Amino acid sequence: MPDERHHVSSFLMRESLVDKDVMASTDSRTPPVRMLPDAHVVKLGGRSIMDRGRSAVLPLVDALGDVLTRHKLILGTGGGVRSRHVFSIGLDLGLPTGVLAQVAIADALGNAHILGTLLAPLGVVAIPPELFGHLLPLFLRGAPGVIFNGDPPYSLWEHPPGIGRIPPHRTDAGSYLVAECFGCKSVILVKDVDGVYDADPKENPGASLIRDVGVAELRNRRVRTLPFDEVLLDLLERSRLVRSVQVINGLKPELLGAALAGEHVGTIVHAD
Amino acid sequence: MKHAMDTELLTALGSALVQGSLTDPELLRQTDGGPVERILPEVNVVKIGGQSIIDRGRKAVFPLIDEVVRNLPRHQMLLGTGAGTRARHAYSVGLDLGMPTGVLSVLGTFVSMQNARMLHYLLARHGVPFIEPAQFAQLPLYLAERRAAIFFAMPPYTFWQQNPAVGRIPPHRTDTGAYLVSEVFGARSMIFVKDEDGLYTADPKKDRDAKWIPKITVAELLAMDLQDVVVERAVLELMRNARLQRSIRVINGLVPGNLTRALEGEDVGTLISAD
Repeated sequence: MPDERHHVSSFLMRESLVDKDVMASTDSRTPPVRMLPDAHVVKLGGRSIMDRGRSAVLPLVDALGDVLTRHKLILGTGGGVRSRHVFSIGLDLGLPTGVLAQVAIADALGNAHILGTLLAPLGVVAIPPELFGHLLPLFLRGAPGVIFNGDPPYSLWEHPPGIGRIPPHRTDAGSYLVAECFGCKSVILVKDVDGVYDADPKENPGASLIRDVGVAELRNRRVRTLPFDEVLLDLLERSRLVRSVQVINGLKPELLGAALAGEHVGTIVHAD
Repeated sequence: MKHAMDTELLTALGSALVQGSLTDPELLRQTDGGPVERILPEVNVVKIGGQSIIDRGRKAVFPLIDEVVRNLPRHQMLLGTGAGTRARHAYSVGLDLGMPTGVLSVLGTFVSMQNARMLHYLLARHGVPFIEPAQFAQLPLYLAERRAAIFFAMPPYTFWQQNPAVGRIPPHRTDTGAYLVSEVFGARSMIFVKDEDGLYTADPKKDRDAKWIPKITVAELLAMDLQDVVVERAVLELMRNARLQRSIRVINGLVPGNLTRALEGEDVGTLISAD
């Protein structure tokens, strides 16, 4: 039977992009380029940092002012308590996961603008999501850092999760995905705990800190709660460029500079 | 500043969400309590294949457009477009130059958009609009007024597209984008218009012995672990977690009348269901 489709010549011509061998063959091509190999992605927690107000945020702003003289930073923010509130109202109204994801973006964006107001004297401001991705390298050339709402633009296209209806790709996932796509130097998740514990440290005073852990091992340990989006484990497993993230305690702002200098000051979660 | 612990919230679940961890499976289970509203229960999401339909030109596209128009009085349709051979070209060049998956996703979006624009001009005289993701808020009006709209089916993940487990091609492409639209809106149906009669045990273009499968569940299909499948594998994975769109239909758009039959809910092509 003649092929009546009209093809453009390429090594994927006529191929099914679902075929396993075709998919595997694409891994042997040129390794992905690193667009921003010197930039770090730093995600500031919503509930854990921003919602605490000046007692937590101002010392971190001072620390950021210092490190921005040495490092290029892409700062993501979480949505915090307002996102959880809008989830609860949306759930009560019977709205689907994609709608919850769409409306929650506004909360992280609000926090991005708060941070941008505090860092404005340094030329570090919140970039509108529509411009952020395409212009990121340009912005970062002109300023020591940029701020974005950590949310990935999944919005109505958010995936229904395995359990419940809360959007699974939140601001930790969105911040990580920026780093992976742009080939950044590191990802630092700034929270209000020292890292990943073997039990929730807010409920179990005896919980002990895990300093270094692989994705597979962390899954096997069946820790009930994690200080970051669980989907991050899946993303790390499939990473090509950014193979680990470090979770640090932002209530100890001096740790930020240390983590950016490559020191191990919190929990490092790695793909292998 | 006070933490939000003593805020008055609408529901006990609200308090639990504000105070608890969003990674706690117990808490997450509680969020599945009530039913999910169907936002656009009348609309049928119809995905028109890129390589399978649009790249064939007028021979395949014109009869399909005519069939869409004939069905407008009876059925609301949200038409999503695939990308096709130019996306394969862009992915090939992009892979050769080391483009990350997120950049390949941007390139795929552009091709899907070209196809949406072309179909849009063919349907323009019927008042059917083309909407980008930012315009989805107008969709209910367009459907009420014109009964149909066109969108590019690539999900708007751009640089946030996830890596696939194997290879570097974006795993969430136009089948996935169209499917997720049907899920979030609680659409009446999800119909994939391709150039084969549905799902086969192998690629029927390459294997003469491939057997047609009229009806199958996601679990059965995943257990078969086929070399090739007629829809993106991500759709099957997402269907397992779907709250509203629990089945999809794959039909051959080269056969006149198939789209009409699928819209009427008749048994045509392959039905893949989550349950």
